[in-house]
Amino acid sequence: MPAAMAKSLAASKKKADRVEQEEPEEPSENGFVREYGDQEEESERSDAVGSSEDERSSGEGEKDGKDDGKIHQSSEESDSSEDEVAPRNTIGEVPLEWYKDEEHIGYDITGKKIRKHARKDKIDSFLAGVDDSKNWRKIYDEYNDEEVELTREEIRIIRRLLKGRTPHAEVDPYAPYVDWFDWEDKGHPLSNAPEPKRRFIPSKWEQKKVVQYVRAIRKGLIKFDKPKEEPPFYLLWGDDSSVAENKRHGLSYIPAPKPKLAGHEESYNPSIEYIPTQEEINSYQLMFEEDRPKFIPRRYESLRSVPAYENALKEGFDRCLDLYLCPRTRKKRINIDPESLRPKLPSKKDLKPYPLTCYLEYRGHSGPVNSISIEVSGQWIASGSTDGMVRIWEVETGRCLRVWDIGEAVQHIAWNPLPELPILAVSAGHEVHLLNTGLGDAEEKMHIKELLHVEEVLTDDAGNSASAVSWVQHEKHDGITLKHLKTVSTVEWHRKGDYFTTVMPSGDSRAVLIHQLSKKHTANPIKKLRAPAVSAVFHPTRPFFFISTKKNVRVYDLSKNKLIKKLEPGLREVSSIAIHPGGDNVIVGSKEGKMCWFDMDLSSQPYKRLPAHPKDITNVAFHRSYPLFASCSDDCTAYVFHGMVYSDLNQNPLIVPLEILHGHTSSNGRGVLDCKFHPRQPWLFTAGADSVIKLYCH
Amino acid sequence: MPKHYRPPGKKKEGNAAKYITRTKAVHHLQVSLPTFRKLCILKGIFPREPKKKVEGNHKTYYHMKDIAFLAHEPLLEKFRDIRAHKRKVKKALARKNRDLADRLLNRQPTYKLDRLILERYPTFVDALRDLDDCLTMVHLFAALPAVGGERIQVPQIHNCRRLSHEWQAYISRTHSLRKTFISVKGIYYQAEVEGQKITWLTPHALQQVLTEDVDFNVMLTFLEFYEALLGFVNFKLYHSINVKYPPLLDPRLEALAAELYALCRYVSAAPERQLGDSRAISSPENEQSEDKKVDAQTDESDLRLAQLQHQLPANEPGTLMHLVEDATAADDEDNETKDCKNLFKNLKFFLSREVPRESLLFIIPAFGGMVSWEGDGSPFKESDEDITHQIVDRPTQGHMFLSREYVQPQWVFDCVNARIILPTEAYLVGRVPPPHLSPFVDNEEEGYVPEYAETIKRLQAAASKHVLPMPGLESGDLDDAQNLLAEGIIDRAEASEAAEKKQKLAILEKQYHDELNMELQGITYSASLSNKNLQSSVEDVQEDAPADSEQMEKDARDLSMVSMTRKKRRLYEAMQISRERKKANVNILEERKKKAHASKKE
Repeated sequence: MPAAMAKSLAASKKKADRVEQEEPEEPSENGFVREYGDQEEESERSDAVGSSEDERSSGEGEKDGKDDGKIHQSSEESDSSEDEVAPRNTIGEVPLEWYKDEEHIGYDITGKKIRKHARKDKIDSFLAGVDDSKNWRKIYDEYNDEEVELTREEIRIIRRLLKGRTPHAEVDPYAPYVDWFDWEDKGHPLSNAPEPKRRFIPSKWEQKKVVQYVRAIRKGLIKFDKPKEEPPFYLLWGDDSSVAENKRHGLSYIPAPKPKLAGHEESYNPSIEYIPTQEEINSYQLMFEEDRPKFIPRRYESLRSVPAYENALKEGFDRCLDLYLCPRTRKKRINIDPESLRPKLPSKKDLKPYPLTCYLEYRGHSGPVNSISIEVSGQWIASGSTDGMVRIWEVETGRCLRVWDIGEAVQHIAWNPLPELPILAVSAGHEVHLLNTGLGDAEEKMHIKELLHVEEVLTDDAGNSASAVSWVQHEKHDGITLKHLKTVSTVEWHRKGDYFTTVMPSGDSRAVLIHQLSKKHTANPIKKLRAPAVSAVFHPTRPFFFISTKKNVRVYDLSKNKLIKKLEPGLREVSSIAIHPGGDNVIVGSKEGKMCWFDMDLSSQPYKRLPAHPKDITNVAFHRSYPLFASCSDDCTAYVFHGMVYSDLNQNPLIVPLEILHGHTSSNGRGVLDCKFHPRQPWLFTAGADSVIKLYCH
Repeated sequence: MPKHYRPPGKKKEGNAAKYITRTKAVHHLQVSLPTFRKLCILKGIFPREPKKKVEGNHKTYYHMKDIAFLAHEPLLEKFRDIRAHKRKVKKALARKNRDLADRLLNRQPTYKLDRLILERYPTFVDALRDLDDCLTMVHLFAALPAVGGERIQVPQIHNCRRLSHEWQAYISRTHSLRKTFISVKGIYYQAEVEGQKITWLTPHALQQVLTEDVDFNVMLTFLEFYEALLGFVNFKLYHSINVKYPPLLDPRLEALAAELYALCRYVSAAPERQLGDSRAISSPENEQSEDKKVDAQTDESDLRLAQLQHQLPANEPGTLMHLVEDATAADDEDNETKDCKNLFKNLKFFLSREVPRESLLFIIPAFGGMVSWEGDGSPFKESDEDITHQIVDRPTQGHMFLSREYVQPQWVFDCVNARIILPTEAYLVGRVPPPHLSPFVDNEEEGYVPEYAETIKRLQAAASKHVLPMPGLESGDLDDAQNLLAEGIIDRAEASEAAEKKQKLAILEKQYHDELNMELQGITYSASLSNKNLQSSVEDVQEDAPADSEQMEKDARDLSMVSMTRKKRRLYEAMQISRERKKANVNILEERKKKAHASKKE
């Protein structure tokens, strides 16, 4: 017992000390609180400070002997505090609600009801509270139905709790742990068991491990020192002379392309013209993301104002990605002068003569000249225009010899190829007129007159037999009229001047007709065409007949009356055709501005496609003796080509573009409507939509 | 031997056999994708474009031979070792076996890249050819902030700085720098080493931003290779000029962040060292400074200093120049190098505080000039009388020495690009300098010559004419020469103006005489008018002529287009398009220029 007493005494002493230590902190704590506290608490706190001071003084006073007694007292008080005040309420631990309507809260020891206090009015309680200065520390205890006034101590405890501290100031929750047990000289082991034997004999496994280590160390498997550092760099490329040794292994190395070097615009201070205006910068926003310029030049007045480039790291990274992620291939970059792509043409001087410059103009028509034709002798030229006029001009002077008024727009016009038969075939509307030009000597005139006479009976016969065409004597002019059912687009003579053919594009099975002048007879040898016919031409030497439809060119043998060849130009719409005087080569012009040269012996595919004109080709023509051909188009130009055909079958024809002839003006979207070569001279006639006929000479 | 049986439908020939997709390659090598990437970067293996993409269009294809090449790479095994080693350390640490962990960490498996470099670049010239990216990358990392805790290790950044300075010191010493250009992105340099043009970009000496959208693993792998490559290249280069590599630097200068200067001194001192190694270098003040240094340094640097004492030449500024002059004795240099070396000869530069020191310390010595800066360790002070140019980049200069010119840094760069000493008027302090033009652009090819480029061209022409000293002018004074140049230009301009005026006067005079004649002949005014009309019509005809020629040109082009094959025609048209695009760009530039001029006049 006395030992225990002594211990408790010591403990209490320590406690007191601790209190003492803590006390000086108190004012500062209060000071801290003061900053945030209300006015009302002020007085209370000053009280508290006073009390703490009291305590301190008392503590100091009683330090010597009294302290233990006091603490005993306090501890007793704390113990008895719960017993002291018995709860008034005796209903027990049941919800108060059950007694809500009752007047009592349980019974006292005598069995009398413990009555509830009379309920106070709110206003009364408020007024009472206003008067009472201690009201703020009064709490209504609902369970016991009474008002409790908190003591100063209790309030202090509440405050401390609110602050999250221990309720009592003297308790130190973080006191250093005191180990009361003296370990050193206590001879008592925790266990009373005897020491095991294994503690006294060396471990076998340890020995094994040691042996292992020793062996490893001896063998050099375990090394303790750090490896020696060798100089990191040395002369790697000693001498490059041994080339054979210094060869890259593996696949061929494709070096990465070097990054693009900076241009003027990347300068920190570029000239003014490199800086885009604000509008231009705004317009960049409207561009597609990939079109947008990556870098917008800026100008800095001095070097010191240049900021750090924010994309430096990003660009470095992108380059790294390119280097290791981009597939590399060797690409042939064509770095040639574009002019070197242009083919070496034979010099034009060697290919002379060919039409070069405009020499004469034949003016007189008042509408677009649809067609022209040159007489075989080359002395006369006939032209037909949409104003319904047919004119004959003298080639060399430009004098207009004769005029016929047909009354309808002339589509096509053709001289009879025989020099002794100066007859003109004119197609206008539904009719084809054979006009007597009145040229030639008297005998010829007689012959022509005879030829151009149609008897009435004959017309009826013709009407019965062909039914598509009726041969009638021309009313106004000296000649014959062939009345067709549909519009006639072209008229072409056979080389012997007796036959001629007309084409009615909308004539279906009767689209192409062949007429015989001497017998005044019309035949319809070709019934099936599959596509609208465009024009028909006779072969210059053999009994072949070319019909060009919009898709292809069909070649018929007239003697056997069968199709012998089909030429496929592969063009959108064929507009014209011309046969080389040799008869083996054909050119076909199309409405997309391309021209095809066919070698009949070679294939049914074109030997060459010449994309000459940007607009529709209206007509193509071969020269009869010179190696020339020409095309004219709605773009107001005519191209002249050199087209040499060799008699050697192994040699391909030589085609050289020679000249572009300008001069016509566009009217109504149409340009040059027809072109024809002079039969003997290298001259070209062109008829334009501007109602002018031009002669180009060499 | 019979051919192996190949099951039908398994096409193991052609592209299917030759190329392998990346995923398959990774599986084939049994490595992780990051390891594969690292291997590819170090080995320099890149995807290739097969003619036919068997596995799909969007995949990356590697050549099978490349992958086989990787599979036999010892580095692959090394990476596996490293991985295993890391795991061992981790395990030891987890078992609290500190001893084992320490022992393991002491002996980490390492690898060297020298064999790879030799494999990729069998000859030195090959390495130089591919050095552009390497230099740009190393310089970029040298400019990054050396802060701990970032993705990049501080020693690595220091290593980059060191390597870049070594490279610059070599270029500067051999005077092989050719072109420089300040762009917004940084400063471009172009040097010529062993006939190879090497261009690199250094960022501006400002705090760089570490962006987030960058995968540093990739960049650091590249950097690892580039560091090794540049180290070996530097070794070879230093070896070629008889300098020991790696160089030992003056720690004092190094501490003052003037490594480049220190290096330059080291490099240029080296030949002399070899000549007179035994000669004792001992001027009293030199020793004094040396003593001071010794005091300042700690014990461990004593040894280094002792080495340095032999190596350092006398500390006075003239030494560098002497050495440079010594080097001129070796006349194995080509003309261009001589030009470069003598550009800033006899000029002394001083850099103000605000000027980007590193680039100018690199450029000016590379072109034979002497340079100093404000700060400790500089070879001469600002008050030096011999300084001819002071580089200043501030709005106004307070105290000015009359003996020197105060120019903006751009002047140095423009001089270097033009290879002449440009007149300094436009570059003086406080003025907006003339536009800075890129030396990498071929103006003629581009089709547009900026105004200042023409001025420079004229100056160059004038300089090449005036290189010989004029009789009756004893000069060596460069300022005079400059003034001469400027005057020459002005004279020429005046002369051309005068000529124009004269022509106009002559025309007027002629007109007057004509009118007089007419009056004398008694022709009425109306008649003369009609006469004039006639003349004008004649002129019209003459005007038509050029139009005709234009037409003829167009005709000729059209004609040749007709006879071209389709392939060639398409190609020709494509070329025409690109040509027109270029022309359009030039037109935009010209328009802007016109506008700018117009607004200036207003």
